[in-house]
Amino acid sequence: MHIEKDQELLHRLAANDDKALETIYLEHYPMVARMIMQHNGSADDAKDIFQEAMIVLYEKAKEGNFVLSSRLKTFLYSVCRRMWLKKLQSGPASTALPEDVEESADAADALEAHLEKDAQFRQMEAAMGKIGEPCKTILEEYYIHRKSMQDIAEQFGYTNAENAKNQKYKCLMRLKKLFFTNI
Amino acid sequence: MNDLHKIQEIERYLDGEMTAPEKEAFESLLRRDPALQREVSSHEAFLSQLRAHGSRQDFRSRMNAIHPKAITPAQPAPTPVVPLTSRRRTWYSIAAAASIALITSMATMAIMQRSAKNSITDKYEDVRRVLNNIQRSQNAIIRDINSKNTGPANPGTYGGTCFAISRNGYMVTNYHVIAGADSIYLQNNKGEAFKAVSVFEDVSSDLAVLRVADSNFRSAPLPYTLKMQPSRLGQEVFSMGYPRDEIVFGMGYISAQTGFNGDTLAYQVSIPVKPGNSGAPLLDMNGELIGIITGRQSTSEGIAFAVKSGHLKRLLEELPKEKFNRKDLKQKNQLSGLPRVEQARKVEEFVYMVKVYN
Repeated sequence: MHIEKDQELLHRLAANDDKALETIYLEHYPMVARMIMQHNGSADDAKDIFQEAMIVLYEKAKEGNFVLSSRLKTFLYSVCRRMWLKKLQSGPASTALPEDVEESADAADALEAHLEKDAQFRQMEAAMGKIGEPCKTILEEYYIHRKSMQDIAEQFGYTNAENAKNQKYKCLMRLKKLFFTNI
Repeated sequence: MNDLHKIQEIERYLDGEMTAPEKEAFESLLRRDPALQREVSSHEAFLSQLRAHGSRQDFRSRMNAIHPKAITPAQPAPTPVVPLTSRRRTWYSIAAAASIALITSMATMAIMQRSAKNSITDKYEDVRRVLNNIQRSQNAIIRDINSKNTGPANPGTYGGTCFAISRNGYMVTNYHVIAGADSIYLQNNKGEAFKAVSVFEDVSSDLAVLRVADSNFRSAPLPYTLKMQPSRLGQEVFSMGYPRDEIVFGMGYISAQTGFNGDTLAYQVSIPVKPGNSGAPLLDMNGELIGIITGRQSTSEGIAFAVKSGHLKRLLEELPKEKFNRKDLKQKNQLSGLPRVEQARKVEEFVYMVKVYN
């Protein structure tokens, strides 16, 4: 069964398996790119939309309870189609997109949840963009890449981990302030 | 505890870095301090947001590493270098044409909308008639000569219709017909004219009661009666009025239980009306009076409005009893069962043209 194979790929994607990501990416990108480029989109639009859809898929997969009810192909196509439609509608000219042959119900739900979270992500992205160096890297290294304070202290030339830690807290407070004042 | 220290403590607590006694102390502090509790959960949410952001960034960069390997299909319409200029020129002219078309259609829409708005404001129009010399038919003048009663020399400014509600000269018409009148004359289908005065006016229902000035005025018993029950949808109705100097018969049916803009005092009637029909009686097939024509919808043909007879009854109750004989409208109905031409012939005698001078 294709769906089982897709589900297996999805598990590996959630486990950050690069090979699985590459398989999914290379297999589905051309289809989406064709759809978008046939409907007034550029190659860059196609890339943005497809990667956004991949993020939807990735985050769904990481939640762990995501069970595919359609093929991965259908899911991705459906999410991309809806996203592109939304973008077209917000733009000056609206064009009719092809009707979905097989509409994926998962796609609609996933996309809706994604859009709800989107505002916060934008907020975080803006805050991280404003905070500047070295705070950005320190926070990324500690909270995202989960490096030890000792490593970070060495990387940034702090005399000891305690100093680095204080610096990290100051950065975090600034980020929090930026994040919450923009909301 | 300053903010920096607080964040540190919260994070150590969340990361499980506290020693057992520290943790216990912190938890007991948490239980006592809801503000701190909120801060902890908000910090936790914030950190997870930060991590989710980071994981997205990572995922993006992983995808970007893969992207160059992906096959991007060729643009559906490849654009060679040389024809680009001509194509661009075509695009310019298409764009110009499109923008002209757009401006034209926008302007048209704006105009259409404005005229639509205007037509909404004057949807309802009274059907009293503005009289002038040319509109007067020869008919009336010839009858004027034959009759001893000579009508006024001045043809009048406005015209409408009224009908008798008693034998001694009480008539009902629309308030808007006689509003602002200096003098009122009634004229029947034989061309006889009578001076009349307004004795009662009700602006809200747009009804007015007139009385023939000659107190010796007597007519035959009224052939129609006043219907008390509301009429139902689809009820066939007829009316007689003076849109011209000749009495005109019209037929139709009740098309709605409410009048213009949902006015519950009126019916909507599908019947041809023209200016001059204001105040005409609306009778059902049994010859019962069910309403008084007041106006029509100007935007569409065949939509007229009539005040319900129930309202007329309420109005008549306010008239002085000694002068107005209410029984005249409760006599035996002489119209029921008669063929329509006979009904029309009988009703005709009791319908008058109203001429208003002001």
